[in-house]
Amino acid sequence: MGMFGVLDISSAGMDVQQARLEVAASNIANTRTTGTGTAAYRPLAVVVRSAIAEAQGAAGTPYSAAQLPMPVVAEVVETDVAPKLVYDPGHPDADARGMVALPGVDPVTSMLDLISISRGYEANLRAFDITRSLLQRTLDLGKSR
Amino acid sequence: MLNADPVIALLSRALDAAALRQTVHATNVANVNTEDYRRLEVIYSAELQRLQAAGPAIDAQEALQWAQAEPEVVESAETTVRLDQEMAQMAENAVRYQALLGAIERTLGMLRTAARDGRE
Repeated sequence: MGMFGVLDISSAGMDVQQARLEVAASNIANTRTTGTGTAAYRPLAVVVRSAIAEAQGAAGTPYSAAQLPMPVVAEVVETDVAPKLVYDPGHPDADARGMVALPGVDPVTSMLDLISISRGYEANLRAFDITRSLLQRTLDLGKSR
Repeated sequence: MLNADPVIALLSRALDAAALRQTVHATNVANVNTEDYRRLEVIYSAELQRLQAAGPAIDAQEALQWAQAEPEVVESAETTVRLDQEMAQMAENAVRYQALLGAIERTLGMLRTAARDGRE
């Protein structure tokens, strides 16, 4: 890929952070969502994969500069975090002991995730900007006088 | 006499390498959350290391021979991507890229001056 392909990779990186943001927001928004059995909300997580990085065989073999790993959101999975049990006997979703299962979303972890997402997005945007300005300057080569 | 061709060829090769570095840094940043991703870096083949061991290049022709070495993209010994380091290296590489562009610009300027019989 030439330098123009870099812009695609940085865009893909921003898409990934966007997907992570949506999932993190969904987890935070659903901290009080209750339900019994399979209807219960379980915290979601984004799985990002890159076909080229996985197809790469033994360590040490050079990558093709024309095909560098492009990140793709492979799937959004439900995590296996244990629910938080809260005593609330009047609640319609309470079990026989009066306990209500709330999703095991850790607010601190979620907020840290948001910071990491924001930094990741900024870094991709900055990379995009740097590439664009280098390309622009290259195109201006020989224009003076 | 100034033989501008090897100089421009040499600068172009260096510019290609800097462009490749920019690509690889951007790829690392984009894949910061990718499963099983191992950080990539640009290295030079054994050919260049052999030439380097032989001593510094002294003229453009010999330097051009050096520049025949192909840069390769390989997995780095440091496998995890650290955003701050990656961005710092990207900024440094961007400065180098722009310095090379400036050098090409000035070489073209000298050719332009020569083509106009020294008249500006």
